[in-house]
Amino acid sequence: MQNQADKEKERQVTRRGFLKMMGGIGLTGITATIAGCSTDPAGGKGWMPQQYQVASSFPVQVKGRIPIDPTNPSITRDDKKCVLCGQCVEVCQRVQTVYGYYELPIKDDITCVNCGQCTLWCPTAAITERDDIDKVVQALEDKSIHVVVQTAPATRVGLGEEFGMAPGSFVEGKQVAALKKLGFDAVFDTNFSADLTIFEEGTELIKRVTGALDEPLPQFTSCSPGWVKFCEYYYPDLLHHMSTCKSPQQMLGALVKTYYAKEKGISPDKIFSVSIMPCTAKKFEAARPEMNSAGKHAGKPELRDVDVVLTTRELARLIKSKGIDLTSLKDEKYDTLMGESTSAGLIFGATGGVMEAAIRSAYFLITKQEPPEALLNLTPIRGLQGCKEATVNIPGVGDVKVAVVHGLSNARPILEAVRKGDAPYHFIEFMCCPGGCISGGGQPRTSLPPSDEVRQARINSIYNADAHIYAKRKSHENKEVLALYEKFLESPNSHIAHELLHTHYEDRSKHLTVKKNA
Amino acid sequence: MSKGVLVDLTKCVGCGSCTVACKLYNGNAWDETTPTLGDKAKLTGKNWTVVHHKEVKDSNGQPVWRFVKQQCLHCKEPACVSACFAKAFQKTEAGPVIYYPHLCVGCRYCMVACPFNVPKYEWEKAFPLVTKCMMCSDKVEKGEAPACVSVCPADVFKFGEREELLKEAKAIIAKDAKYVKHIYGEEEVGGTDWIYISDVPFDQLGFKTNVTKRSLPSYTASFMHATPFVGITWGVILTGLYHYTKRRNQVSKENNKNIKA
Repeated sequence: MQNQADKEKERQVTRRGFLKMMGGIGLTGITATIAGCSTDPAGGKGWMPQQYQVASSFPVQVKGRIPIDPTNPSITRDDKKCVLCGQCVEVCQRVQTVYGYYELPIKDDITCVNCGQCTLWCPTAAITERDDIDKVVQALEDKSIHVVVQTAPATRVGLGEEFGMAPGSFVEGKQVAALKKLGFDAVFDTNFSADLTIFEEGTELIKRVTGALDEPLPQFTSCSPGWVKFCEYYYPDLLHHMSTCKSPQQMLGALVKTYYAKEKGISPDKIFSVSIMPCTAKKFEAARPEMNSAGKHAGKPELRDVDVVLTTRELARLIKSKGIDLTSLKDEKYDTLMGESTSAGLIFGATGGVMEAAIRSAYFLITKQEPPEALLNLTPIRGLQGCKEATVNIPGVGDVKVAVVHGLSNARPILEAVRKGDAPYHFIEFMCCPGGCISGGGQPRTSLPPSDEVRQARINSIYNADAHIYAKRKSHENKEVLALYEKFLESPNSHIAHELLHTHYEDRSKHLTVKKNA
Repeated sequence: MSKGVLVDLTKCVGCGSCTVACKLYNGNAWDETTPTLGDKAKLTGKNWTVVHHKEVKDSNGQPVWRFVKQQCLHCKEPACVSACFAKAFQKTEAGPVIYYPHLCVGCRYCMVACPFNVPKYEWEKAFPLVTKCMMCSDKVEKGEAPACVSVCPADVFKFGEREELLKEAKAIIAKDAKYVKHIYGEEEVGGTDWIYISDVPFDQLGFKTNVTKRSLPSYTASFMHATPFVGITWGVILTGLYHYTKRRNQVSKENNKNIKA
């Protein structure tokens, strides 16, 4: 008995024993933690991201990253995902000739044309568009707000890729169906205002050619906001060449809160205007202070012509987040009033398209005759060659020389020629992104870096629709545009058209020191 | 001869590549509350280097943006090293001032001693350590530039022998009128291994300009050097006194057995 009680006592944990034990564990823990079981100095032992497994210096040519202003309205970067691979520097400097084309020290701006090509090149998706989905969802949920949306020409050949479809899948009808399902009150087509642009910009060109407008030739297109900002930074002396026409997005935005509001009897401040764009620079464009023509027209200058711009990628996320399967949707049609479009408006989405559309209608506006078949398939200015030229004979005017440039590095030689007076052109189309809007910074990501194969597939899809799907191929056949002039705008380049559809540009050269001989 | 880095602030475009490289190389977590880039950037236990955004005026009075990379300056005679009695901070021959966690007792004298407020404490941890930029000592030892220096796309940094860099910096500011005629770190607290040149006065860029040119340890060196002698002498005196009183007591005990001790 006595023996067993002793044993029991031994097994029992005394208070003293317990405390000793805990103290021992604690001390061991502290020692181990502080010492880290290592006598090495603190700090890193080696590299780092996957591609550089061996600890050493970075390769000299591919490193670092571009600076991004935290207030940039178009793009943003998640530092946690950045692996310093240098691809953004590569595209910004070599393809777009923005980074590295200004002298250091910088002035009071981080030079950026907002094109968003870096978002397509970034292998980890550290750089992305600034996400504005919440603003749209909020507007859609507010029943007192009338939410209007427009879709750019190029999103309909890109959006499908986000849902597993082949590059270049033509999802125009499905996109409209998805937008209606999301609850937008009216779905309009930016193609409509692209047709309208042809009227305005074509008229302006004719005025420049005939001398009715005292501005120099060649005229530059102004639909690509990245290109416009590039010209404002690096070639401000050539801004007089820039057409005063707003981009199709901003034209439609201005009309939604004036023409549409008037026709529908809705107060402009109850309208929320959204646009779906293949482009991150459109976010910047919509936020430009002067883009409030409709507001000024209505006496409420605080109203924006376009309230929110969503990129194709954001639209895809929004559709997915609502559990909508784009691929299974039945095609629907754009709403009337500003939903009709011709394929001349559609081809704005591909490089050379604005020029081709302009020539189709300019021929008609000048000669009052339909253009010959060859002008409907102006192949010399189609395709992915960096700088394309064509000469078009228009009876009564003679030879009209045009050039088409896409990708800003291709723009520089032409701009230098214009500066020297060596450019024999009447009209030049500039697109900021390689391939035009179909490969814009807001389009679905592709292989890295974006390949011409995918660009070509999207371009083919656009020209296929131009040749086979759309009923009308010339902007001047757009009945809704003609009705718009009849009911509201009077005539191209009229006073009210100037008020709502034209703009001015800003010399941004004071914000940087342009590098000489860059 | 120790290695150093020459920082030309006029070339910085504010991309923050250096701060990312630091995180990647050192395996430091991103601090959700404190950015490493911009006007709210701050050194913390996790942020060993940051890039501050400063909106200042240039010499013509025009508003300009400047970006200032901040990290440990790796003083030639570091106050933190002299303050650390545990030898947790040590200046290596190659230049970096490094920190041995296993030696640290957590007294944080280094934080008090540093004139640039660089060492940070891991306050959020149960068993915190002191942290700061190590200048990628492993790389520097091999003759390679620190991680932050090696990734800069804008050529802001030059890595090399400090004395060579100093000569180069002097040549640059002598040749180009836009630079302020001062090399920060040439003489500050006796000289630092990271040296800066700029076109905007350093005080406007957040640099501490009212620091002494004398190295901080030199202020205390004279009497700190006396410490062992004082210690030994004092010990000898006390030991002598002890033996003297002990002997005296013993003698008096033997002589006066009736006197109570």
